[in-house]
Amino acid sequence: MHLDPFELHEPTTVEEALELAGSLSGKFDYLAGGTDLLPNYKMHINLRPHLISLERVSELRGVSADRIGAMTRLAELEEHREFGAAYPGVAEAVREVATPLVRASGTVGGNLLLETRCFFFNQTYPWRQSLGFCLKADGDRCHVVPQKERCYATFSGDLAPALAAVEAEVEVAGPSGRRRMPVEHLYNAAGDGILRLSLVPGEIVVAVHFPAHARRARAAYSKLRVRPSFDFPELGVAAAVWGAEESPEKVRLAIGGLETYPRRFDADTDPLAGAALTDAKVRTVAEAVTRRVRPVHNTFLPPDYRRRMTEVFVRRTLTRARSPSGSRAA
Amino acid sequence: MTSRPLRTRVNGTAVERTVPDERILLDLLREDLRLTGTKRGCDLGTCGCCTVLLDGRPTLSCLTLARSAEGREVTTIEGVTPAEGLHPVQRSFVEHGATQCGFCTPGFVLTSVALLRDHPHPDREEVARAISGNLCRCTGYTKIIEAVLAVNGGKPRGD
Repeated sequence: MHLDPFELHEPTTVEEALELAGSLSGKFDYLAGGTDLLPNYKMHINLRPHLISLERVSELRGVSADRIGAMTRLAELEEHREFGAAYPGVAEAVREVATPLVRASGTVGGNLLLETRCFFFNQTYPWRQSLGFCLKADGDRCHVVPQKERCYATFSGDLAPALAAVEAEVEVAGPSGRRRMPVEHLYNAAGDGILRLSLVPGEIVVAVHFPAHARRARAAYSKLRVRPSFDFPELGVAAAVWGAEESPEKVRLAIGGLETYPRRFDADTDPLAGAALTDAKVRTVAEAVTRRVRPVHNTFLPPDYRRRMTEVFVRRTLTRARSPSGSRAA
Repeated sequence: MTSRPLRTRVNGTAVERTVPDERILLDLLREDLRLTGTKRGCDLGTCGCCTVLLDGRPTLSCLTLARSAEGREVTTIEGVTPAEGLHPVQRSFVEHGATQCGFCTPGFVLTSVALLRDHPHPDREEVARAISGNLCRCTGYTKIIEAVLAVNGGKPRGD
């Protein structure tokens, strides 16, 4: 498989990258680690004539106590002991991404902005052509839920739910300046696999920031997949618990791998504050969340199974996160 | 098509080439430099056959632009093989029957060389985890793990 010709741009500052983006409006993709974009390009999916590589932008690098640069390689983060000790739930998610080889190139920002995935999208050009192109690339219909308006491709990043559970924030830079928002606000909650992000064209994720309380959370991440290596999540559940098990101050739950965007379930977990997080309560929350999620048949495992496993995984992950020894010791 | 000069080092030798922007490192190695020890498998980052060391770190050359090697050191299977004989990891693979068809072997060897450099005495679990991005379609993982464990005189554990 060869890549079609494109022109590569290699800015060294965020401002330079934004300027390039402005001048190439709509005709470019940003390139981070390349482990998601380049396979899609090799399959002739949504090609652009220009790539703006962020590899040389030094501001996007570096890991400190409360910030991860967006171009930090997942392997770098995995090897960072202090980071793993401070944010165990996020560290668990990082270790579960793909394979060591993919993590050597793949980046934090790239995982957050991972293209949504679907059986009918992540295929070669001739494969897609033979069936009829879909809404998300070259076509006008959805093969998963037959209609012509909405794309159901699945958000398959592992980091977003883990970061959303501990209330991390992202810093983005764009044509009209910089802003910060909760990680979950990066995504379009209207639920469209094409219009999947809330970013405006040209915006760059600069870094992930952790508020002070993020490191006080006990947190865990559990991932459902067929092989314990490489596979994207068929379901990814992240939980975070603050305060004593007998009387938690706050509980957060975020789920990826099921729908077009990673979702937090605050309405279900807010009532858990202030009273013992018993097995019965964990079970009730797991059942409630399971009733809300709507996976479709566009990944390897059938949606009914993924829904039923949501209950199991929410229960297990919350149980792990509530225990004082829980994942902090891991 | 945009081309520009690339300066890198491959197996200790300075390389200067004019390459198109979309040139993938795997193609630079196999087609431009004729270093065909690096294999093209899935070409999508799934199988690890194309693994090379980029500044010492195992890297998928099929998903790395040649431009990313600018000013850096690339080591291929040809670079770890001595002029005479074999690298200790290669020798151990031979002794343990850890190659079947052999197509995935260069990738496994390079991943293992990097693992043993950083962790000279890994346990079985660490080896399995380190090679989890390299696929062997002959499914000869047991022998591969035993070969890696034996390199520094270790004995396979956990049988």
